[in-house]
Amino acid sequence: MSGRAKPPLNVLIVEDEALLAMDIEAMIEDAGHRVVGEAASLYEVEDLAGDLHPDLAFVDIQLAKGTSGLDVCALIRKRWADAIVVFVTANPLKIPADFAGGHGVIPKPFSRNGLMSAMRYIEEGVCDPPPVSPQPASFIAAPAFAAEWSETSP
Amino acid sequence: MKQRDDWHLTEALGYEHGRADPFAAAVRATRMPMVITDPAQTDNPIVFCNEAFQTLSGYDRSEIIGRNCRFLQGPDTDREQVAKVRRAIDAQTDIAVDLLNYRKDGSTFWNALYLSPVRNDAGKVVFFFASQLDVTDRVKAQTIISKQKLLVEQEVEARTSDLEAALDAKTLLLHEVDHRVKNNLTMIGSLLRLQARSISDPAVSSKLETMLERVDALATVHRRLYQSDDVTRFDVGAFTENLISDVVGASRRNDIKLVSNISQIEVPSSRAASLGLILNEIATNAIKHAFADGRAGTISVRTALEGNNALIEITDDGHGLASNDVQPDGIGKMLISRLAKQVRADVVWSDAAPGVRVSLSFPVDD
Repeated sequence: MSGRAKPPLNVLIVEDEALLAMDIEAMIEDAGHRVVGEAASLYEVEDLAGDLHPDLAFVDIQLAKGTSGLDVCALIRKRWADAIVVFVTANPLKIPADFAGGHGVIPKPFSRNGLMSAMRYIEEGVCDPPPVSPQPASFIAAPAFAAEWSETSP
Repeated sequence: MKQRDDWHLTEALGYEHGRADPFAAAVRATRMPMVITDPAQTDNPIVFCNEAFQTLSGYDRSEIIGRNCRFLQGPDTDREQVAKVRRAIDAQTDIAVDLLNYRKDGSTFWNALYLSPVRNDAGKVVFFFASQLDVTDRVKAQTIISKQKLLVEQEVEARTSDLEAALDAKTLLLHEVDHRVKNNLTMIGSLLRLQARSISDPAVSSKLETMLERVDALATVHRRLYQSDDVTRFDVGAFTENLISDVVGASRRNDIKLVSNISQIEVPSSRAASLGLILNEIATNAIKHAFADGRAGTISVRTALEGNNALIEITDDGHGLASNDVQPDGIGKMLISRLAKQVRADVVWSDAAPGVRVSLSFPVDD
């Protein structure tokens, strides 16, 4: 990773349910971060400006226009290689064992506390790894991502 | 048949048996086909065959005597079975095999061959004695049975794959419905959270928070459902720990610690929502009342299976029973009592000085 991100983090929300996107946006701002973009499908992620540079993206799996969050993850990793991708889905079983290059998952339905503690944990993991908080039940880190932290731990 | 020649033959081989030997007479007359071969001669030829053997094989004695038994074999005779007979003769042991043999007219019969060496007083093998039995009917019956068995197996396999496909479809449907329920619960939570942001009246806002907590408890239930192979059961042990830790986390009370001693307790999935709501009321009540006025402390959770009863204990070390408002009132109290009745649970509030222990026990089966 080329230099660690500093809070507030730039966050991208990829979610086709407007209500959930609004809710997540409000919670991200409550946690002191910044929402830099929103998209409802793979096509809308393609249309985002290249200089957006999100530090973190919350990505639903089933998106608008029949597109998949797994493809969005690959696209985000290609466009902004440093971005951390966290899936937010009601169907965590659809995520392959290698997380398709993503960094973790927050299963739906999430609670405010679940999302906030997951965000705090991810923030610690992104800005000053490894995270000092215990991993909350609401967040499951991808094996490769978790391994990265265990290498950086003292 | 030249039956009258028989005694010559018994005489020819019978240097240790008299002409009038009753055993020889019995062998000649029995309905069991029999032959005797002489391993001392080249190619172990037949030196005696009885009448029944001639009838079975369709050959005359003159066509039989002096030949090796292999003349009964044909193109469909199992070579491996023949080799077994060969090995038994070489090893001078007895053997029983079923062989497909050929009559003189080319027709076949299944021959249950029993062959054994005959030894003299010195222990030397002087003859091989072979009895034959036409077991064509038995072998045919077995063939029919094994064909039918194969058909039944194919049928079972076809039905099984139909059932597996039906089960796959059902599982897919269950996951689809589960996915929608989770999405709707997420949206209900989002709606309540968005509404709560716009309310400035603390009394209304607190009621909405309580509502949100109940919806979150249901959300926790649904995240844990259908995670195991058996979709009809639900581990209330892990769920309790999960739920209480969510509730403590949501309270943002860093001064409340959680200690748990959990064992796995599978209960029917249909009880999950009711149990989730009861536990949520107990836990939120403990945080609000036992640890009121900024009192720090610990919540201990224990689950255990005692016989057919699940036991869940939630103990705090906060303000004890002496405190007026330690038990929930209003809708919280009503929810606990009505839902407990529904899942046949006993809820007991007891003194665990300095705090309170709430014990929930209920039968794990319907």
